[in-house]
Amino acid sequence: MSFPMVNFDRFLFAFTVGSHILLVSLSIGLGILISAVEFLAARSSDKYYRGLARRLVRPFVVSFGIGTASGIVMAVELVNLFPGFMTLVSETGVIAIFYVEIFAFFLETIFVVVYVYYGKTFTGRYTRWLLTVPIVAGTLLSAVLIVMVNSWMNTPNGFNIGAYLSTGQVTGVNPWAPFFTTSTGYEVFHVLSAVPLTGLMFIGGYFSYRYFRAKGTDERELFLRGLRITAAASFFFVLIAVLSGILEIEGLYTYQPLKYAAIELNPNPGTNLAITLFGSVSGLSIVGGIQIPGLQGMITHHAELPGLSQFPSADWPPLIIHDTFDVMVIGGAILGLFLLVYVGLWIAHRRPYDRPLFAYGMGAFSVLTAIIMEFGWATDEIGRQPWVVYNVMTVNHAANYSTGLLVPGILIVAFYLFLVPFTFYFMVRVFNGQALEVDLEGPAAGSDVNY
Amino acid sequence: MSTINWLFYVNFAIFSVFLALFITELMGAVLLLVDYEHARKPVLAHVVPIWEVTGTFAAFWVVTADFAYPSMLIPVATLLAAYIVVFLILIVARNASISFAEYIVKHRWLDEKKLYQAYAISTLGIGIVVVIILSAIVSGAGVTLSTLSFSIVGWITNPGSLPYLLGVLVIGVALAPVFYGIEGLRRWTLPLASLGVGIEGAALYLFSPSFLSSWFLVPAVLTVLPALFFQFPKFAPIVTNKIVFGAVAALIIFSQTYLVYPTAFHGGIKVDSVTTQGPMVGAFLVLTAVGIVVVGGLMVLYLVVVTRSPGRATATPSPSVPTGVQHP
Repeated sequence: MSFPMVNFDRFLFAFTVGSHILLVSLSIGLGILISAVEFLAARSSDKYYRGLARRLVRPFVVSFGIGTASGIVMAVELVNLFPGFMTLVSETGVIAIFYVEIFAFFLETIFVVVYVYYGKTFTGRYTRWLLTVPIVAGTLLSAVLIVMVNSWMNTPNGFNIGAYLSTGQVTGVNPWAPFFTTSTGYEVFHVLSAVPLTGLMFIGGYFSYRYFRAKGTDERELFLRGLRITAAASFFFVLIAVLSGILEIEGLYTYQPLKYAAIELNPNPGTNLAITLFGSVSGLSIVGGIQIPGLQGMITHHAELPGLSQFPSADWPPLIIHDTFDVMVIGGAILGLFLLVYVGLWIAHRRPYDRPLFAYGMGAFSVLTAIIMEFGWATDEIGRQPWVVYNVMTVNHAANYSTGLLVPGILIVAFYLFLVPFTFYFMVRVFNGQALEVDLEGPAAGSDVNY
Repeated sequence: MSTINWLFYVNFAIFSVFLALFITELMGAVLLLVDYEHARKPVLAHVVPIWEVTGTFAAFWVVTADFAYPSMLIPVATLLAAYIVVFLILIVARNASISFAEYIVKHRWLDEKKLYQAYAISTLGIGIVVVIILSAIVSGAGVTLSTLSFSIVGWITNPGSLPYLLGVLVIGVALAPVFYGIEGLRRWTLPLASLGVGIEGAALYLFSPSFLSSWFLVPAVLTVLPALFFQFPKFAPIVTNKIVFGAVAALIIFSQTYLVYPTAFHGGIKVDSVTTQGPMVGAFLVLTAVGIVVVGGLMVLYLVVVTRSPGRATATPSPSVPTGVQHP
């Protein structure tokens, strides 16, 4: 019974995190957008920016509420599904990262409450915008800290690993070391660009569609302002995501060469290796796929590149990560080109938002961005298998084998399958919950709570 | 380790704040289910701006518990896995229903009232699961530590379990009108609070006579006191003050540390022996000091904003007609 349970634990946690990162991306995107809109509203006293802030707050509160709950689910699931892992986390300094995360969480929560429920009591011109700054800081800091934990899982430090592997005892603990592992900088940089990009593209796609279908001047003006911010910010973040992605590949070469070899599908080490798009490995040969000779060496600047044959095959991660990685990179490249053309046309006053191809394209790319992010996350997590803490603890050693988890676990999945789509639907509903005239002329954001 | 187990007391203090906040929600949940129209305004004025903070304190407690008792994680996950997942489903249901309720515009059969009542039901469900888990940790009811198993039938058949749950519910019902200032129910509060404390005392005795020590007088008196003050118009404003009531509730919970320290599960586990050691203790204390400044500062900011806010500054008019309700 142990084998199915460990895979069930894997599936349940992956499912929960996969749902959570969609909600959190949207929450972060909304937070950044609300802050930008509040700033512009304060600076220009433009009624459309004020109305947009008022509308955006409603889905933000919903995404924050559901995101908070799914965050708690994740935190408790870690203990419940992988108690061996959390024991190691709690005996080393990694738990200190979770502790600091709580402070970021408080920063975000308290300012969300003050901004949403008591914001109207602040009358200073820029005060409402200032209240949104800690919200954005708190959400981003939460993301940074959770990525620090993931970095530690990829490149563990802060205790005597050799002694732990031989005795099972945690000794030589430095509680602060896990904040700064060799992969932390690379991972944090990449996630800090990819997550806001996903959230902003989601919202931008919706704005683009709504602008294109708008009936009146007010509606067009409102969505055009929103689209201007989301398109510009998405373009900025996609550039950073490309740069940080290249740096992260560089990092993998150094600290996880096996994962590097797997995602690049290098059966053997060598110089000036080709980039292989898709394809598979049979024996130690590549089968199928498209080869671009010499490109790998050009991107990484390294003469000698690692190959799978240098490592025992039992340690190889599932090679599907090569495909998930390719989807992420190719999708990201197409997205970047689309945004380059979109923003370029806008700067040249060619009004891309009025063209059906770009209007619907923005919507389609918002979905693609979510897929890219999920595939990127899958690449990272599956690429570490069979380890939960790289070269220290396998998932099998960390997992909970209690079969009592099965029924409630299935209930969680069923509940999420209903809840997540409904949450997105509901967010759209509450965004449009009031007539546009009311949102444009009414009081500040957060004033339409049912209580 | 020093003679005082600071990790235990810090973790328990955070737990006390979380539970005090949660209890205020729980009392509101009961009122929303019993008499929605009259309870809506005073209850939602408190619950809507506080539920996210309660959730954050829950996460705070979970993380500090992970930090303080790493060797307990595998036993707890094995013992209570299924109940913890039920707890998680209820947490998501609670957050979803209240955040949807805050902005819903009536759509066919689904409206604000149904969603707030769904929030109330899930909050009550969480309360029941929490009481079951806590009473099991205190008394060991239903728990077999040697096999790391928990039986709900074993818990129910323990003579103290159901009275313990009943006592908590009676106290909650008794103090809800005090916290929410519902004067129409004033005369019921003192007898119900006294009855609840009596049932709790009996339940603890049934768990084990050793639980009914002189320490029990502290939470017992602190529980009856707000109901007593509420009887006198001169003193009622003291206990209907949300901050004062919250502080007293946290103190009531904190005063029950004796039930789980120095041993939990009715002597089954020595807390000191499962508390983290070495450099992690120093890290815990440093971060807790930082936390007191950061979280304390943020909570002060929150309380200042709430207390200086002219009523529910951003609220829409209530559809209810609150007769006999004293607004906070």
